Amino acid sequence: MSQLRTRTRPARTHLARTHVARTAGTLALVAVVSLTACSTPAASPGVAGETVTIGTHTPLTGPAAAGYASISAAASAYFDYLNDQGGIHGRTIEYVVKDDAYNPATTQTVVRELVQEDGVLALVNGLGTPTHGSVVDYLNENGVPDLFVASGSPAWDDPEAYPWTFAFNADYVTEAKVLAHHAQETYDDAVFCVLGQDDDFGTDFTTGLTTVLGELASTQTYSVSNQDVTAQVGAMQAAGCTVNFLATVNGFTALALGTAAKMGYRAQWLSSSSGGDYPTLLGYLGEDVGPALLQGFVSTNYLPFSADDPWVELFRRVNDEYNDGAPFTGNTVYGMSVAYTFAEALARAGEDPTRESLVEALESGDVVGNGILPLQFSADSHKAFGGVGITMVDGGMQDYVGSAWTTDTGDGPVVAHDGEPVPLEDEGVPQP
Amino acid sequence: MDRLVFLLGTGVARGTVLALFALSLVLIWRATRIVNFAAGAMAVVGVYVGVAVTGATGSWWWGLVATVVAGGLLGFVVERGVLRFASARSPLSGVILAIGLVVVLQSLLGIVFGQEHEPVQPPFSDRPLQVGGVPLLSPYDLFVVVVALGLLGALRLLFVKTSLGLQLRAAAFEPEVSRLLGVRVARMRTVGWVLAASAASLAALLAVPNELGLNPHAADMLFVSAFTVAVVGGLDSPGGALLGGLTVGVVTSVVTGYLGATLAPVAVLGLLAAVLLLRPSGLFAQAEARRA
Repeated sequence: MSQLRTRTRPARTHLARTHVARTAGTLALVAVVSLTACSTPAASPGVAGETVTIGTHTPLTGPAAAGYASISAAASAYFDYLNDQGGIHGRTIEYVVKDDAYNPATTQTVVRELVQEDGVLALVNGLGTPTHGSVVDYLNENGVPDLFVASGSPAWDDPEAYPWTFAFNADYVTEAKVLAHHAQETYDDAVFCVLGQDDDFGTDFTTGLTTVLGELASTQTYSVSNQDVTAQVGAMQAAGCTVNFLATVNGFTALALGTAAKMGYRAQWLSSSSGGDYPTLLGYLGEDVGPALLQGFVSTNYLPFSADDPWVELFRRVNDEYNDGAPFTGNTVYGMSVAYTFAEALARAGEDPTRESLVEALESGDVVGNGILPLQFSADSHKAFGGVGITMVDGGMQDYVGSAWTTDTGDGPVVAHDGEPVPLEDEGVPQP
Repeated sequence: MDRLVFLLGTGVARGTVLALFALSLVLIWRATRIVNFAAGAMAVVGVYVGVAVTGATGSWWWGLVATVVAGGLLGFVVERGVLRFASARSPLSGVILAIGLVVVLQSLLGIVFGQEHEPVQPPFSDRPLQVGGVPLLSPYDLFVVVVALGLLGALRLLFVKTSLGLQLRAAAFEPEVSRLLGVRVARMRTVGWVLAASAASLAALLAVPNELGLNPHAADMLFVSAFTVAVVGGLDSPGGALLGGLTVGVVTSVVTGYLGATLAPVAVLGLLAAVLLLRPSGLFAQAEARRA
């Protein structure tokens, strides 16, 4: 300051003098602001007096929107419900949803906007393996909690490389091992085959299958750019496959089943949870032929889905009241479960949550979620679910059969889980 | 052997739909020397109208008529309202206008009808007929083949045997001279767009039952493949579009069947590169002397 003043000589023009005066004023202001900042604890980004701001990236437009746009809508609806109940620690949750059209380049832009302009506390449920993969380094370098990634890639469970990233979906390897185990126990003299997406999804899932079943009779792949799977289904038919696993998204599960039906090819189909949602599949196949094609269809799930489950009843109510009664699908349950789980983490993160306390709450293992298995986050593992349950379609209803199963992503055994699903408490409003 | 026959059948079925769509690109190219990058999005608008009419009347055939009419109308509006303002000096101008149109149309469809896939049932059985134990073409596939051949024949008649066809060709090939000779060039261009947009809508309507369902993006991949087909067959040649469609369809199916789905687009790209290197006017284009 003194330096500035000595530079001001009387010979200077009026303009120069006001300029200097302004600079000095600004400097003083900065000094005052930083002083106050030092005297009170630094507020965490995204946490204000009455609100907590979080954000996500998800496809709302473009070809991928069809399958996923309903997830963030359901999550937003659940946050609205929570806010109407008074929020968490007296703060309402503001969920900023940014459209990335499933394009990794756009994901990078919108996530930077969320962090730098919207100043979010955390990124919650960023969707997609390739899209989220493009921002996971950025989020971890900047210490932004990256919670409940919407993808089954095992990559998100890597606390050493990505201490701020937490998975949500049961990973593809775990799912495949449980499905394979179920198939081995259930179908005698079966010929096992797989149709998988030609990316990490398909290869991780197939790895899980072969760990349990050994070599498969036929391994087929599809590429999302070609909506014609006749050649692949024909190959499975020719190879005499009787039990077919699917590492497919919902649309391609429907295509595979529809194509097989057209060709008069009957087989047992078992799908990953990513492509095994009955209401969504019915949407693709149509109400007239869908129920017949899907009878006996087996999939996995790790979230409440039985029609009489208290969680499902609550979600249906919230969906009607806060989501304009949008079609109630697996995506609805998924989005609301993510919202609930975040609210639970926030409730455990203390009265004045920070990015650090949020991660600590998750790593403490106190956040259990609402799945058929409790969440198993710890400091060493950022994997959300250690297992999945088996679902089957019967008479137009998809429901769990038998217990849940747990396993690891290596060659460990598949073990029946004897615990109960996490019960619904306090009307789905997490209490501190 | 059975396997090869099966894959050939699948390829022919897919290839015919590609050929139909490619035909629309060829039509616009012949009429205006523009590659219509909005063809996919425009065609889907027609299909939405057709599906709505089918839903309202209960008849697939009325839906077919509505698709063709709506497609043609949109072609008219787009040519008169948008593409007419493309600069004649730079081919890029038309391309950019068309891409802008894609964004507008797809967003509008998304706003009005949502992003979900709506299943569309074919009018006939799409169960393949078994020939010697091998599932080959279905009655629906055969219908598509008949429509494609019929349309090809009709267009050939139109272009070669009628005065309108002659004027269309003249207007595209030599607009200045045609104008001096009394051909209403602007009107001919509009006619070309209407014909092409109708054909594209028809092709998309026929393609949708074999895909995920109707969605604002339902014709995206169809357009990309059909564009390849049109270039492989020769942008100037309707017959080339048909043969190119069958070639691309069979290559995709056989490569998927023997080498895997991942390599199918690579094989098609390889075919495209080879054609562009060895015979840039297209495999089946005969008109070296008539290039504009």
